[in-house]
Amino acid sequence: MPSEPFSFDLLSANLAIGAALVAIGMIGFVARRNLIVMFLSAEMMLQGVALTLVAFGRYHGNWTGQVLTIMILAVAACEAAIALVLVLVLYGRRHSLDASLWQDIRDPGQPPTLDRPEEAEPIEPGTDLGPEAYPHLTPAGIEPPHASTPWIERRD
Amino acid sequence: MTLSQEAATTLSLIAAGGFGTWLLLPHSHGLARAKPARILGFLLTLVATAFLLRGASAPGSGLSTLFFYIFAMAAVLSAVLTVTSISPIHSALWFASVVLATSGLFLMTGAQFLAAATVIVYAGAIIVTFLFVVMLASVSGHALYDRSSRMPARATLASVLLLWTLLYAIQSSAGTPATTVANPTPPLRPASSLASVPTTPADREAAARVLAAAVPARSHLPRYDQQPLPGVPPRHVASLGATLFTDHLIAVQLAAVLLFIALVAGASISRPKPLIRPVDRRKHDDAHPVSTPATANAR
Repeated sequence: MPSEPFSFDLLSANLAIGAALVAIGMIGFVARRNLIVMFLSAEMMLQGVALTLVAFGRYHGNWTGQVLTIMILAVAACEAAIALVLVLVLYGRRHSLDASLWQDIRDPGQPPTLDRPEEAEPIEPGTDLGPEAYPHLTPAGIEPPHASTPWIERRD
Repeated sequence: MTLSQEAATTLSLIAAGGFGTWLLLPHSHGLARAKPARILGFLLTLVATAFLLRGASAPGSGLSTLFFYIFAMAAVLSAVLTVTSISPIHSALWFASVVLATSGLFLMTGAQFLAAATVIVYAGAIIVTFLFVVMLASVSGHALYDRSSRMPARATLASVLLLWTLLYAIQSSAGTPATTVANPTPPLRPASSLASVPTTPADREAAARVLAAAVPARSHLPRYDQQPLPGVPPRHVASLGATLFTDHLIAVQLAAVLLFIALVAGASISRPKPLIRPVDRRKHDDAHPVSTPATANAR
């Protein structure tokens, strides 16, 4: 508890947990392809840094670590706002959360990362696809008139 | 290059945890891993985390040691499951678990205000993440980009090396004079403010003038020169607020400016452009035929 002394063993344990959170968050940010999961991984790295700062502040007996953590909270709020807006804008352009769809903005000369969907495990018909899965129905009746060109292009 | 036994043990533990995380990560081409492989990965990560934290001996009662272990294991394992869950909804839920465990660690470290503030702030963030997942996620099961990950082995290897470097630095600093002099650190008091640092009389007088202007006599904030009464626990939030609004006043104002700029930036880039109707597109093309460089120069 707070009134007990804070030994170096406890400090190093807290630092180890913070370092582990940062490393695991790096795995998630580098390896995952969903933009939302990448955002969550970045937030998790910030949690690891906050843990490190609080432990250092407690060890040195001043409030600076906690003040810096409050600053991290403010910066994380800004980051969350802008990251989620960017996710929305990117989704509006490509209609997918896949980060690999944006590999054309990398440095020139990089080999492209290609999906191989034929190797992927097919989704069995019996699996639960979530609440947004609809059954396939046989088309019936007259097809209603609809625009030949979909309205997906936006003004500059 | 010779490794000490401790460093070699740490490296092997981290490598075991990294291998377990790699087993849990989605395959790079979306192949489904067998369930025994996933269970083995989770168990490897669990055992590696438990052994890495074995040296953490919390002083005091056994109960606080137990709670520390619970929070630490929960934080690391939830973090692994956050980055390895296929469904983004599950990722968000595990991230909530990471935040709760981290708040518990904050509480054990003597940061009660931050524990509460983190839970409050990140609860909102996680709800917004849920909204985004529900709004944007693929409508027919898990998309291929959720079931596959990019270069999982190389990403895990890089993170294993990073974590080993960090833990090596932490372990090798044990026993140095910097880690033994101030041991054990007294609990946080209001006088832990930086304003109590000046030693010369002139500096102390200047600090007192700044403090008198920042914390007037009618204020309820604890003053840096005020010693806590014996038997009365120090006022945590008031002390933190006193430090924040005296020592770090400019940082607070900069944070406010940063939040405002982020608000403006978010609002300005999120505004959707209006859609182009196909009728308008045809009218526009008729009125402005594609101009060649020659006609553009002539105009």
